[in-house]
Formats: sequence, C-alpha cells, structure tokens
Amino acid sequence: MKNKRFNLLLIAVVTLVAAWSLWPTWRDYSLSKQLSSFKSAPDSLRYTLSNRDEIENARKKSLKLGLDLRGGMHLVMEVDQVDLFEQKAWNKDAKFTAIMNTVRTKASSSDAKVIDILSGEFKNENIRLSRYFYDIRNSDQEIVKKLEKESEDALNRAKEIIRNRIDQYGVAEPVITTQGSRKLIIELPGVSDENRVRNLLKGTAKLEFRLLRDPEILVRTLDRLNTYLVQNSVAPPSAPVADASPSPSPSVSSPLKAPVPAPARQASSKPIYDVIGVMQNGTAYTTERSKDYVISLLHRSDIQALLPLDTELLLAAKPEIGRNGEKLFPVYLVKKTPELTGGVITEAKATFGSQGVQPEVLMAMNSEGTSKWARITGANIGKRIAIVLDGAVYSAPVVQSKIPSGNSVINGIESLEEAKDLEIVLKAGALPAPVRIIEERSVGPSLGADYIRAGVLSLGWSFLAVSVFMLLYYKKAGIAADIALVLNIVIVLSVLAGFNASLSLPGIAGIVLTIGMAVDANVLIYERIREELDGGKVLKSAIEVGYDRAFSSILDSHVTTLCAAFLLYTYGIGPIQGFALTLMIGTAASLFTSIVVTKEIFSFLLDRNLMTQKSFG
Amino acid sequence: MRIFHKTRFDFIRFRKIAYVFSLVILASGMISLAVKGLNYGIDFRGGSEVLIRFDKNIDVSTVRSVLDAAGVSGSLKQYGLDRSFLFSTVFNGDTNDLKSLVSHALNDRLKNNHHEIVRVEAVGPSIASDLKWSAVKALLASLLAILLYVGFRFELKFATAGVVAIFHDILTVLGLFSLLGGLFDFMPLEMDQSIIAAFLTIAGYSITDTVVVYDRIRERIRGQKPSDYERIFNESMNQTLSRTIITSSTVLLSVLVLFIFAGPAIRGFAFAVFIGILIGTYSSIFVAAPLVYDWLRVSKSPVHLRGSKVS
Repeated sequence: MKNKRFNLLLIAVVTLVAAWSLWPTWRDYSLSKQLSSFKSAPDSLRYTLSNRDEIENARKKSLKLGLDLRGGMHLVMEVDQVDLFEQKAWNKDAKFTAIMNTVRTKASSSDAKVIDILSGEFKNENIRLSRYFYDIRNSDQEIVKKLEKESEDALNRAKEIIRNRIDQYGVAEPVITTQGSRKLIIELPGVSDENRVRNLLKGTAKLEFRLLRDPEILVRTLDRLNTYLVQNSVAPPSAPVADASPSPSPSVSSPLKAPVPAPARQASSKPIYDVIGVMQNGTAYTTERSKDYVISLLHRSDIQALLPLDTELLLAAKPEIGRNGEKLFPVYLVKKTPELTGGVITEAKATFGSQGVQPEVLMAMNSEGTSKWARITGANIGKRIAIVLDGAVYSAPVVQSKIPSGNSVINGIESLEEAKDLEIVLKAGALPAPVRIIEERSVGPSLGADYIRAGVLSLGWSFLAVSVFMLLYYKKAGIAADIALVLNIVIVLSVLAGFNASLSLPGIAGIVLTIGMAVDANVLIYERIREELDGGKVLKSAIEVGYDRAFSSILDSHVTTLCAAFLLYTYGIGPIQGFALTLMIGTAASLFTSIVVTKEIFSFLLDRNLMTQKSFG
Repeated sequence: MRIFHKTRFDFIRFRKIAYVFSLVILASGMISLAVKGLNYGIDFRGGSEVLIRFDKNIDVSTVRSVLDAAGVSGSLKQYGLDRSFLFSTVFNGDTNDLKSLVSHALNDRLKNNHHEIVRVEAVGPSIASDLKWSAVKALLASLLAILLYVGFRFELKFATAGVVAIFHDILTVLGLFSLLGGLFDFMPLEMDQSIIAAFLTIAGYSITDTVVVYDRIRERIRGQKPSDYERIFNESMNQTLSRTIITSSTVLLSVLVLFIFAGPAIRGFAFAVFIGILIGTYSSIFVAAPLVYDWLRVSKSPVHLRGSKVS
C-alpha cells in the first residue's frame, strides 16, 4: 500500500514538473498567436509593451526549435594551425619554409594532429624543433607541449573573438563551441544574410599599415617579372590558373567558375603587361578578368623571389571604375614588414566620409600606437602608406603631415554595410590565425517551415495510428497504454525544454520512433497477462504476475536501445545527436510511463471493479 | 483481438531453410557491395550541395542542361517529388560562389519559373573522414556494448547468437542500400549520418525481439533434458510469437508514418529502419534462437543460466 502511494506521488510530481517546464512554451505560442491576431501595428506594439516581461520570459524558457526547423546556419570552422605555428617560429629560413610547406600539404590530406605531423617532419630532417621554436635549450617534447598549449589558447581566443563579432552583428541565441584542438562549431539561427555573416566570421581582420614603394621601383619590378616570364615561357601554359602553385587561402575552385576568357595565353613578348597595365602616373592595375591569374602568379615562389627585398605585390580589395566602365584593381608594391599592425586599434566607427557619400571607418589607437603612428607619419611625409586588411589593400593615401592624434581611416569601401562589418571585426580584434570554413549547412526559412509541417504531420499520424491500434487490439487496457503514451511525449518535450535543448527534424523522428517503441513494454505486459488469464489465473493476480514476469524482457530491450542511442549521441555530430537525444529520453521515460503509470491505472480501475477479464481484449 | 494465438509452427525444423535464405540474401547484398558499392551521401563523401526548389514543375534534364550551358559543373538529380533538385559538386569553402553561380544561371535562362535555394550544405574532406570514423566507432562500440550486456544477462551462447542476428540485420539493410541505391527518385538511399543512426536503432531494436524469445526459453529450459530442447525452443517461440510480431508492428507503423510524411530528408532513414525491423523480427525467430539451439546441440554442455528468476 505504501508503495502504491509513493507511485501515485511520483506520477503526480512528474506530471506537474513536465507541465511546469512546458508552460512557457505554451505561453509563448499563445502570446505570439495573440500578437499576430492584431490587425494594426500600433495595437500589437501596445500589447507587446504592456506584456513585455511575460513575452520575453516565455520566449526565453520555451522549447527551442533547431536550426533546420527555424532556418539558419551551422558552421564548422578550423583554425589554421600551420599558420599559427609559423607565426611562433623565429629565424625562419628556406629550409624551414620548405618543411612547413610539406607539413601544410600533409595536414590537409590526413586526420593526424598538425603538431604530430610537424614534429615528425622535423625529426625526418634531423632538425631539432628548438632551432626555430622558443628557447634553444628546450627539448622537442617541451616545445611540442608549448605549441599544443599555444594552439589551444588560439582556439579559445578565436572563439571569443568570433563570439564578439557575432554579438555585435546581432544574432539571437548564437551557439559557439569548440571541438577538439582546432575546430569551432557555430550555430546561427535565423540568419538571413549568410554571405555577410560568412565574411564577417572568415576574415582574420589582420590590419596592417605598410609603406608603399616608389612607382619607379614598381615599374622596374614588373619589367623584371616580364623578362623572367618571357624567358621561361618554353611552352605556353594552357591553363595558368591550375598550373600555378596552390595558394594557401582556399583558392577559387576552377570547376565552379564559368569559363572565363583566358588572359593572353599565347607566347607573348610582354606576358606581364597583358594582365597588368601601368598608367602614366606610375600606378599599376589589373582587370577583373585577369585578377585570378594575377593572384595565382603572385603566389608563385619563383615570382616572389624576383621582387625587391622585403616587398610584396598586393592587389586592392575593391576595384576602381575605369574609363570604359571596366573594373580595375590597382596593384601595389608594398614593404613586407608592416609599420604598424591592428593590435593598437582601440576604437573603430563606420561613418560617411567628408563628401558624405563614401563610407569609411575611423579608427583610434592606444597611446603606444599613437606615438608610433606620429613617428611613422612624420618620417614619411609625401609618401604613401597602404592600409592592408587580410592581405588586400583598402587604400593607400599620401601622408600629408604628421598625425599626432593616433587617428586613421579606412576608405575605399563600397557600402555602409561593409563599413559596419569592418567596424565590428576591427573592434573584436584580429584572429590569432586564419580560420577556414570546413563544413557549412544552412537551411532557408521556407524549407524550415516545410520541415515543421512534416514533423507535426508525422507526430500526429504516428500517435493516431499507434494509439488506435492499441485500442483495437487491447480494448480497455489499450486506453491505459495510450494515456501512458501521451505522458511519454509530454515528458520528452518537457525535458528538452527544461534543459534548453532544441528540437530538430531528426529529433522529431526520434519522438515518432519512440511512440512506436514506448507501447512495446505494454504489449509485452499485456501479452503476458493474457497468457496468465488463459492459464486460469484471476484478473488481479494475472496483472501482478504479468508485470512481474515481463519486466526482465522490458528492461533488457530498453537498456540495449538506450546503449545504442547513447553511443550515437556520444559519437554523432549535429543533427544526429538530436535524434539520439529524443530517442534516449523517450526510451527512458517509457520505462516509467508504460510500467508505473499503467499499473496505477489498472489498480485504480480494479479497486472500483471497472475491469474484467475481457478488458485485455 | 488476437492474432497468432496458440500457434504451433515447427520453427526449429525449418531453420535450415531459413539459414539458406539468410545466406542468399546476405551474399547477394555483399556481392552488390563489392561490385556496385554504396552511394555515399555528402556527410561521408564531402562536397557541396544546394537544394533548389522551383515554383512550377520542371524537368530534371532542362535544369541540367541550363546549368551545363552556364558552365556550372556538378551533378543534378531529382530530390523527393516536389519540384526540388539537388545539385552537388566539389567542396568549396565559400558556398556563396556556388549559390550565386547556380542562381544566376537559373535566373537568366528560366526567368518565368522562379526558384529558391532552400538549403546549402558543404562538407570539407577532413570533416567527411571525421564523420566516417565516428560512425564506424559508434557502430562498433554499440555492438560491443550490446554483446557485453546480453552476455551479462544471458549466457555467452545466447549473447553471441544475438549479436550475429544484429550483424545479419544490419548487413542485410546495407546490402539492400547497395542494391537499390540510386534507383528511386523519391528516396535517395545514400549512406550518410542518418543511416548510421538507423543502423544503431536497428541494432538496439533487433535485440529486443530476440530478448523476448530468449527470456521465454530461459524460463522454460531450466532442469530440462537436452533431448527436450527442440520442443522447448519451438514452444517458446510460438508462445512469444504474438508479442514479437505486435511489438514490431507498432514500431513499423511509426516508421511507415515517418516514411510517408517526414519528407525526403528522413526517407532514407525511415526505409532503413523499416527494413531493419522487419528483418530483425525474422532473424530473432529464424536466426538468433535456432543458432543457440544448434550450438547447444553441438556443444552438448548444459545451459548455465544467469539472471533468471524462479517464482
């Protein structure tokens, strides 16, 4: 009798907790329904204002829908560890660069940890890591440990910076987590402008102020490149883009590109001037069509070796419009070593420039940056300083006078939107190393709505089919199983809501499957009861024995399903975890609902003589 | 209502036919796996995919030729039955390139049939191999866990036969995926993460029916002579036949609903689970229990019973 009272109490508590956990979801649903019923905007605004707390509270605690149902973006980004380690090394020489290039190729084609590949390569070459990393007295193990720590820090820093960027951009409920030693998982529900977000996340935001070399040197350099290319054009390259060494940044994959008319592929006497034009005033430019080829050319190490010491050829981030409306990208010869980097930037603000049409970003520096900036500008009056962001030149203004205030400005920006994004990335700071998108899944809102409809239909039909089947097959006892089934679904949803997990389409599939599996325990019990009744037992003891004897099979089958679901949850990624989670909760809950709850229902009915032998069909 | 009430099927006598049947099905699946292989989905293959949906009906070859003419290379196929097409190509970190290329091509040439890109997926090669590995790990770990659990609850012979039955079920579905892969427009039957989820679901559920039969055998075999084993096995299977079939039917009902209503994204999964549970029910009667019977007969050692309750 005591046991029975405990069971009743347990059922009451579980039901109440489940209802309490789902209450905000119900409120949220009815409030938004109420809101959308208003005909005029002022009405709904007034309602929103007067019920603000309740609306916000309900929304916060309600059952969240997954990215696939709401529409949104799921991104996995990888921190470029090779780049990071390269940054950490000192006195880099040709040997080092060669080894790092091997490491880069190997890392991109294998799953092994970058640090293991790196230390393996150095071991192969019989070079101690301490020759390039940290202190000469460190052993290889110590350095490996330090570098591992370094990459862990870099990942966490990258996570914080990306979180800052997203927060400033304004995405509701972003989820950013790290996975392993170099991956970031970013979930952005309801993002509509995917491209903007992608650019916002991807950019390293490495800002550099670099001195421009004189136009004469640029022209001389181009001449030298031209001579070299003429000498080396034994056979005209048929596909210059594919032929060039791969660029470290994910290069534009050629199969995707519409066939671009190839820029001068015949053996020409002036190969470089076919793709780069030089104007009267000494500025060089390339056309939009030749841009990809020029970029690939500039990445070639033999070309880089021909440039004057400590210089680099960079392209402009944005084209200028030529006389015939053509898009022209200026080419700059800049010093490789930056005069100043973005680390000194403390404040950034997007505005419109002096003429009020060109958007620009104003920047302020810290005191150290301010004094350096004053010195640099003072020493270079009349020269040009390029403002380089992530390897592209935004502008290259001529220094008019010494700038003591620590202010600088980025212009050459197309839209205010872009200026705002620059403001965000500059404020959030530069990423410790470049990040790459290695997985992306985005679902548009219309498909999300389809998924919701499909999910609700599946849930409804599956519940209807299974519950009607139970009623037909087991008559009155079927009712008990159906009540248990309803409670089971409620528990699954309430656990999801209570633990702030979200419901995705695979999650709904998990619930649908649970509906079919949850009644299995009842089937096992009822079949056993029928058997006992056939054996001549009276109803009450048949029920007792039925529950008792069926329990071991029920436990076994539930434990195995739980095992499988748990392992799926552990090893699965993303959407599959949602499925595993609901299946797990549902299976565990059905142990309670189909055994404890139905038994209490039977004892209630038995006490009131509402059951007969026929109640089990 | 009662179906399969008081049946007297001689399952043990027909077991050899069942063995042959199972072996033929398994072998044809394995041959297909070796010859034709599997259709890997984007999760395991890597690559980029966009799902395009048109407002009006359009032929897959029309869309294909438009994309070809625009120089967008990749493969296009019908996705489900509702004017949707799945375009897949090599992995590219910036899916926007792909989206705008496809969009422009379709806007230019199919002006009066508006389209929308409703889903974009891009999986890099490193992620794809990660996913593959975790899938293999999850499968192996769950089989091991089930073997350990059933081994702990029953005798090792029972547990082993149960796990053999699970292998039988999963391999049958895998073979079927290879045989039927790419044959139907309305279900892609591609190996992806959701199919791994299906395999684990099948593994977890396959043992359910088996355990029900085992439980009854264990209950009845206590203190019996080995010469009675055949009768006990047969009677146990007949006595539990009804619940074996009813439990599977409720799950099959649910999965059928998923197959019909949950859309093409879930359809491959639903198909796998449906077939898996069907095969799982068959294998618990015709594979798992008969294997234990044969094993007991050959080894001639008495059953060590564990965990069974006498009341």
